[in-house]
Amino acid sequence: MNAAEKFIPSDTIPAHVLPKNFLRPCLLLLLREHPAHGYDLLERLRPLGFRRDDPGRLYRALRSLESDGLVRSVWEKSTSGPDRRMYELTRAGMEFLHESAQALIETDQILDVFLSRYAEFVALDSAKRSRARRS
Amino acid sequence: MDELEVLRVRDEVLQAMYWMHAEAISSAPTALELSRFLAVPEGVLATYLDRFVADGLLEYDTTATYKLSESGLDSGKRTFADEMADLTRPTHGECDDDCWCHDSPEAAAECLHERSGKIHSF
Repeated sequence: MNAAEKFIPSDTIPAHVLPKNFLRPCLLLLLREHPAHGYDLLERLRPLGFRRDDPGRLYRALRSLESDGLVRSVWEKSTSGPDRRMYELTRAGMEFLHESAQALIETDQILDVFLSRYAEFVALDSAKRSRARRS
Repeated sequence: MDELEVLRVRDEVLQAMYWMHAEAISSAPTALELSRFLAVPEGVLATYLDRFVADGLLEYDTTATYKLSESGLDSGKRTFADEMADLTRPTHGECDDDCWCHDSPEAAAECLHERSGKIHSF
């Protein structure tokens, strides 16, 4: 057992790691595409790496965005059920989305460096194993 | 029980339950589901839920679920809108949805600079 295996339980290692607070720019992006209500957002978050089974997280994020003035919501009248909140982007939300996208571009560049260096390491390791197998 | 805190939690719970109900996520959550939804400890929330049942805002079911009563539904819907009304009103000078500045970060920075006289930093 190496040090990492000893101190990091395997079930705490996520299958994929999203940037911190990634939910906020994702919601702003989805609302830039078109205004939406909560359930719709929950569905459209899936391709961006979010699980559908945590509606509370979405609710709290929307409340926070609304408190920060990045999103606003209005009642959408329904004839078949209760009225729902329809969310839309504010001008401040659009500006925050641009800033977040810029920050993500910088993160992407750093990840490129990490992955290219990791690829070199893995390739070297693999080449060593091949040589050992041949000898 | 601090009555001011009761009022704050009441609004939080009723608004969240109305939202869950309207989005067809759950019309009758358990205390555990509600505590996860609001990210608060179940034990803390349960005390308040009992109080809201006694106040006639929630109905407690034999399956250990909570449902909004008629007055709870009205209150949840009303306070949801009231709380955010002043926060998201457009401000003076805010550009509209068709503004050219939505095209790119550079355009957004230029627009903001013109509107506010400030440099928009990325």
